[in-house]
Amino acid sequence: MSKYKFRIDKPEPSDESINRHKDFSKVHASHQRMTKPLYKTPLYKNPKVFLVLLLILLLVYVIAEYTAGKMKKEDRKPKQDSAQTRPGIPGS
Amino acid sequence: MNEHHKTDNDLALELQQVEAAKSDPARFSVLYEKYYKVIFIFIFRRTGEEELAADITSNTFLKAMLALPKYEYKGVPFSAFLFRIALNEINMYFRKSKKERVVSLEQVSLGAMVDETGQNDSEENRKLVMALLSHLDAGSMQMIEMRFFEKRPFAEIGQILGITENHAKVKTYRLLDKLKALILKRRAGK
Repeated sequence: MSKYKFRIDKPEPSDESINRHKDFSKVHASHQRMTKPLYKTPLYKNPKVFLVLLLILLLVYVIAEYTAGKMKKEDRKPKQDSAQTRPGIPGS
Repeated sequence: MNEHHKTDNDLALELQQVEAAKSDPARFSVLYEKYYKVIFIFIFRRTGEEELAADITSNTFLKAMLALPKYEYKGVPFSAFLFRIALNEINMYFRKSKKERVVSLEQVSLGAMVDETGQNDSEENRKLVMALLSHLDAGSMQMIEMRFFEKRPFAEIGQILGITENHAKVKTYRLLDKLKALILKRRAGK
C-alpha cells in the first residue's frame, strides 16, 4: 500500500489567497498568552481576572462585616448577663 | 546566484533582526513577513489543503517565536530554522491524523528524476519510479522532494535537515543508487 498521495501538476495558491491567511497579530497574541504568566499581566488588562478578584474581595468584606456584627452582639450579651447575675460585693 | 543564496551582508542583517526579535517579540513581524510565503508553500506542497497549510504555518511561526530565546546563529539563514520546525509540525500532523502524506510534484521534475536514475524518460518509467517512490520511508522521501521536486541546492537541504552539504549529497546519491537497483530488479523480475 502506498504511504503517499501524489499531487501532480497541481497549482499552488495565489499570493492573494496566501496573504489572506497572514496575520501576525494573532500569532503574537498567542505567543504573549503562552509566555506571560498571569501575575505579570496588569489586572485591568484582564477583565475576567479583575471581576473574579473583585467578587472575592466583596465576599470577604461581607463575611467580615457579618462576623464583626455577630461578635458585637455576643460581646453585649454577656455584659448584660453578668450585670444581672453579678453577686453583691460582700460588706457593701 | 539562486534564490536560496544569501550573502554575508544578508545573513548579518538577518541576525540583527533575529536579535531584535529576541528582546522584543513584536519585532518578529519582520521575519514573519519575509518568510510567510515560502513556509506556507513548503507546507502546502506537503498537505495539499490551503486551510490546513495556513494552520500549520501559524503553528510553525508560533513555535519559532517560543524557541527564539534558545536560537543560536550557526552561519545559515534563519529560514533553515523555520523549515525544520515546519517539517516537525507536518510530521506531527500526519502522525496524529494517520492520513496519507501528500507529495506535490510536476511531470517535468519526475522526468528529470527518471533521467537521474539512468533510464530513458518514458511514461512506463515514470510510473515505475512513482511506484517505487511510494514505498520510501519518510526521511528518504523528504530528500527526494527537496532535491528533485523543489530543486533545492544540497547546501540548503543540509541546513534544513541539520546535516552537512556533503552528507546531503551522499544520502541523495545513495537513494538514487537504491532506486536504480530496484528498477533493474523489477525489470529482471518481469
